[in-house]
Amino acid sequence: MAPTVVVIGGGATGTGTARDLAMRGFDVTLLERGNLTHGTTGRTHGHLHSGGRYAVSDQESAIDCIEENRILRDIAPHCIEDTGGLFVQLEGDSDEYFQEKLDGCAECGIPTEVISGEEARRQEPYLTGETKRAIRVPDGALDPFRLAVANAADAIEHGARVETHAEVVDLLTDESDVTGVRFRRQGPNYRGEGSEGDVETIEADHVVSAAGAWAGQVAAMVDVDVVMAISKGAMVVTNVRQIDTVINRCLPKDEGDTIIPHETTVLLGANDEPVDDPDDYPEEQWEVNMMIDVASEMIPIIENARMIRAYWGVRPLYDPDPEGTEDTGDVTRNYFVLDHEERDDVSGFTSVVGGKLTTYREMAESVTDHLCDRFGVDAACRTHEEPLPGSRDPSILEEYMGRFDLRSPVAKRSVQRLGDRAPEVLGSEDPNPVVCECEAVTRAEIRDAIKDVGADLNTVRLRTRASMGNCQGGFCTHRLGAEVYHDHEAPTARDAIDELYQERWKGQRHTLWGRQLSQAMLNHMLHATTMNHDADPRLRGDTIDFTAFDAGRKTSTVTDEGSTNGD
Amino acid sequence: MSEKHRADEADRRRRTTDGVASETVNPEQPDAVEVFPEGEFDLRPGADDCYKCTTCETSCPVAAVDKSFPGPKFQGPEQWRLKRKDEIEIDPSISECSNCLRCDTSCPSGVNLAQMHNTARGEYVDNQLSTFSIKYVRNRILANYRTSARLASMFPRTANFVMNFKPVRWAMEKILHVPSERDFPEFATQTFREWWSERGGAQVTNPDKQVAYFHGCYANYNTTEVAKAMVRLYEYFGYEILVPPQKCSGTPMFANGMLDDARRHAETNVENLAAVIEDGADVIASCTSCSMALRNEYPELFDIDGIETLAKNTFDALEYLRIHEDLHGAIQDASVSGEFAEEFAYHAPCHSRNQGLDRQAIELFRDLDGVQIEDVGDSCSGISGTYGWKEEKYEKSMKIGAEMFEHMEAAEGTTGMTECPTCGMQMEHGTGYDVHHPLEVLEAAFVD
Repeated sequence: MAPTVVVIGGGATGTGTARDLAMRGFDVTLLERGNLTHGTTGRTHGHLHSGGRYAVSDQESAIDCIEENRILRDIAPHCIEDTGGLFVQLEGDSDEYFQEKLDGCAECGIPTEVISGEEARRQEPYLTGETKRAIRVPDGALDPFRLAVANAADAIEHGARVETHAEVVDLLTDESDVTGVRFRRQGPNYRGEGSEGDVETIEADHVVSAAGAWAGQVAAMVDVDVVMAISKGAMVVTNVRQIDTVINRCLPKDEGDTIIPHETTVLLGANDEPVDDPDDYPEEQWEVNMMIDVASEMIPIIENARMIRAYWGVRPLYDPDPEGTEDTGDVTRNYFVLDHEERDDVSGFTSVVGGKLTTYREMAESVTDHLCDRFGVDAACRTHEEPLPGSRDPSILEEYMGRFDLRSPVAKRSVQRLGDRAPEVLGSEDPNPVVCECEAVTRAEIRDAIKDVGADLNTVRLRTRASMGNCQGGFCTHRLGAEVYHDHEAPTARDAIDELYQERWKGQRHTLWGRQLSQAMLNHMLHATTMNHDADPRLRGDTIDFTAFDAGRKTSTVTDEGSTNGD
Repeated sequence: MSEKHRADEADRRRRTTDGVASETVNPEQPDAVEVFPEGEFDLRPGADDCYKCTTCETSCPVAAVDKSFPGPKFQGPEQWRLKRKDEIEIDPSISECSNCLRCDTSCPSGVNLAQMHNTARGEYVDNQLSTFSIKYVRNRILANYRTSARLASMFPRTANFVMNFKPVRWAMEKILHVPSERDFPEFATQTFREWWSERGGAQVTNPDKQVAYFHGCYANYNTTEVAKAMVRLYEYFGYEILVPPQKCSGTPMFANGMLDDARRHAETNVENLAAVIEDGADVIASCTSCSMALRNEYPELFDIDGIETLAKNTFDALEYLRIHEDLHGAIQDASVSGEFAEEFAYHAPCHSRNQGLDRQAIELFRDLDGVQIEDVGDSCSGISGTYGWKEEKYEKSMKIGAEMFEHMEAAEGTTGMTECPTCGMQMEHGTGYDVHHPLEVLEAAFVD
């Protein structure tokens, strides 16, 4: 009889933990209150760290980063764009720190190469003329959505159960032993089971909290103190890729000085401000402006580039020594597995806190090792050598490029998104038009996603990138809705459209100037006037007096002259 | 604005389509870093201006008749936005674009579609089209019309016979995929330049009113009557005409993605024309695609010394007279009799439309005694230079032209008028009308 474990949190760490546990024979259920990646993972910068960033200040994290960086390139190539990274030194930046960075990288085993400013600008022509030197490091861009979905999919392959839209409301206890969880459904899960408001319980031998920034709240359900040192960061999304390399500023105080190319865009970010409540913190315009200013110092063209949205995330940091830290920027990026039996005399309960997206797999491995010890399971970790679904055969990417009768840049993007699932998804004989033009997402991909996640267009968006381009859904939310309508009722499709359109709107509120403002107005006019999206009589409950409209052609009466009247 | 400033400005504009400079390269400081290799500008930032509004697609004549063509929004801002550095794939559908550039003009937010299309076509031909393919060979021959025309005009009568000799045309269709339905243009028995030197060059000397004539290939080898009309008309208005050494404007080369050929020709043109501009002349062209190339494509695609100066000082022949002379006043007192006293069905070429010149002939000739003129609408003729000269595109070309043919048939007159040589070919091909250039009519009005 395999031990049963409930994992709370469907981010990278939670899905990674569920996968590792399932691979080692545990009976796993994962609960996530929203979509997968709903919390921190969905709001990350997507930086595949080389460790260079922490090579001076936090070497333990840096070493973890470079090790995991290498592993992820092996097991999840379809979630990574190998952009490479640069630490740039501008005129006036400290030579001393530049040297410290180099030494730190050497100490942590991070490969580096120093290049001249000229060479750096040849690689990235939009770098400022003030570029003095740069250090090449193996940074990359990591797609958190694909990563979490691939982990969850593989966990399911190994027999796990994944429940989304399921919020844990309480931990079940027997004296000081955690025996399971009670959760409330926010809506049907991805298989369409259950409905909003259902409350269910799951008995488990052990509960793992991988709730990140929310770990404190989960622990509080059994009166355990886990004091998180969470901090927020703003990220701003440009409309096009001005650069194709991760650019970091080589300075000791680093807020908002990393620029990461992601798919068709570049992400600027992120500042570091302590917050109390991960669900409720101010999202302020000055943060957005600051990100643009800081990035423009390195890449001047960004100053006047079009920004399509801004979003905020919270770092799930944990400070083992809160007394000694003055600034959230100095909190270690290390992770901690908190055994609550040892720490707080509450058995059957473990929290994993801190860490980074780059080190998610190692965190999962540590938690799983800990549970294997506890339950006497003798199974070695294999997550560092078993490729994730979609990554098994990278050569397939090349092979299927352009084989699916799609426009070449479209085919390329599709195949990159799908990895080795490309033939299965794109191989059908049906016409396959592009539905989302900005991101080149075709009908086949969208139908495939709907088949998996149901009428939840926001999750379809996460899987396909549909509606994440420069029109922010203005030209495709309704087209996506039409695809939902194949298998669902009209009201369901309409609700899905509204929800996605709202979500897209929310992120644009901090970038409404210049061209994005014009875009928003055009979108509004299209949806409000052409489609009557804001005054749908079905939603307003109005009854329409259709007879007040032109009644059309009356029945004509033929007169003696043979002419007709009533036209 | 000093010359250097202008060059800097151009440099800046080319580097980023929204006028943001990364850092201009100063030609006077050779140690400045040339970050963009020759002719490789990153066009991705140009996608920032696109609101996806689809106006360009509604103006695209190819998309209107070909459902499988993804249209200018995809070919331009979308494709560039989706590109990553070092990716060479360009969608093959770029070769279905006829290069009419209506999209470029129609865009309400200034997306540089012309530059995006031309660059994409160039990359496609360079990286994806085999130089051994028939298509490449055929396109190269079509694009380098000047070369063929030069050869043909050495034996114009033989060429005229051979090029429209049915068995030859059958073979050309089979081997080179050049449609046999089309009639090859007649070569003049004496080229314009031969005529020019025979007449002893300019008959009027006027250091204050100098124009350099960019005659292009067609007026030199085929319709020399247009070039001669231009000469006599301008001399009537007291201009001293210069005819500097020149090559092809590059239009057919841009349209076929042969940017290296275009650059070679552009270098000759810029060098010779910029020199006469320095001496105070303006450049005029009688073919609207030539003036379009010099004004529009040159500075977008090439970085040649003096190219901005040329672009700023190039005009269409008719436009220039309307700017500098009281042409409308003169027209009131003029009249036309004889061969050109006709009712004309006028078609404005896309490339004149793109320069804002589509109404000039109508506005001018409706006041000219003895001449009637009627606009046959704003559709594209469909031939688009070499486009309609490709077997696989012939049908499409005729479909695009259908509306124009229809309007011409419906017009009062049975003589066509247009500024563009290939539009004229298509008009003749579809209706059987004779087609004339506005300059010929003006010559008839003013010059005895």
